[in-house]
Amino acid sequence: MARAWPVPGLRPRARFRDAAGRVIATRWRETMSYRDGTLAGKDIEYLHAMRVSSRRLRAAMDAFEAAFPRQEFRAYLRQVKEITDTLGDARDLDVAMERLAALLPEMADDERPGLEGMIARYRALRALEDPHIAALFERLDAEEFGPRLESFLAEHTGVVTAELNPQPA
Amino acid sequence: MAKAQRVRGLDPDRRLRFNARRIIAARLDEVYAYDGVVADPANVRELHDMRIACKRLRYTLEIFAIAFEADLEPAVDEVKALQDVLGDIHDCDVQVPMLQEHLAWLEAREGAAARELVTAAAAADAGSLDEDAYARFAGSLAASNRDAERPGVHALIARRGRERDELYAHFLSEWGRLKRERFRARLEEALGGH
Repeated sequence: MARAWPVPGLRPRARFRDAAGRVIATRWRETMSYRDGTLAGKDIEYLHAMRVSSRRLRAAMDAFEAAFPRQEFRAYLRQVKEITDTLGDARDLDVAMERLAALLPEMADDERPGLEGMIARYRALRALEDPHIAALFERLDAEEFGPRLESFLAEHTGVVTAELNPQPA
Repeated sequence: MAKAQRVRGLDPDRRLRFNARRIIAARLDEVYAYDGVVADPANVRELHDMRIACKRLRYTLEIFAIAFEADLEPAVDEVKALQDVLGDIHDCDVQVPMLQEHLAWLEAREGAAARELVTAAAAADAGSLDEDAYARFAGSLAASNRDAERPGVHALIARRGRERDELYAHFLSEWGRLKRERFRARLEEALGGH
């Protein structure tokens, strides 16, 4: 599920600016492809995949920063960082619960209640994260973050995300 | 967290490879800047910062690999392995304080439950409590005790400590190997920088 999408039209001899537009647009669309599954909250793998993709997006933005006007670009980067961090808070709890549950069979009888107590506490904390994630995406929609990012990419790299139309492999 | 250095001399209108060489060189410098500092296992922050530097280098190699004729995947794998072991060390460094915080949380919960019971008993005029009422009070107080949860948390703290020692020894061995095997020089050769 979390495999990186191929970047359409990326060539070894590409100009840095053109590659910047193609890679960032692809990673943006890839990240947002997991949005509905993440918000539904029925399968934690969607959230995991979205977080992994958002980290790839952030890494791509770091790598290609030189192709954009610094101040404006930094504002977009901060927003992407907020997406990664918000998803990360929930993911960290999912991972902590999984790891504790996996350890249970190895623990002595008198040690298990401690792990079970921690799992119960993390489960309660995890339930508080879903509203944060939903609120973040509502705000991104209200601020038209996606369309603004795609316009910004088109303006500075010439890459039009809708025409690029990145898709999973 | 150590910030990535701004890379000078980039030109977005030149080819990907021209710029990628400079960016990768900067990220490689950032990883090697921690050599020596990480020789002390107590340098928790520096070990974490080196992990971040490895992550940046790895992603940079992955992103720009298409611009080079040489296969960069073996280098990506080496950096990823180092990043992973540093990540596992970081997990231990983060988890031990979290587990200690959980012990404090258990104690706070017990204290809050006891205060609640005492307040309720006082409101019911504790001076006139009969034996049955006292037994119910003592039973409720015992039920709010979280002692049973402590051994597991202490066991995990000890376990993470042992794992941390093993992981750190593995990290030192791997970092030493990369240096002996001229990882940096080999990568620079693959990038065609010399």
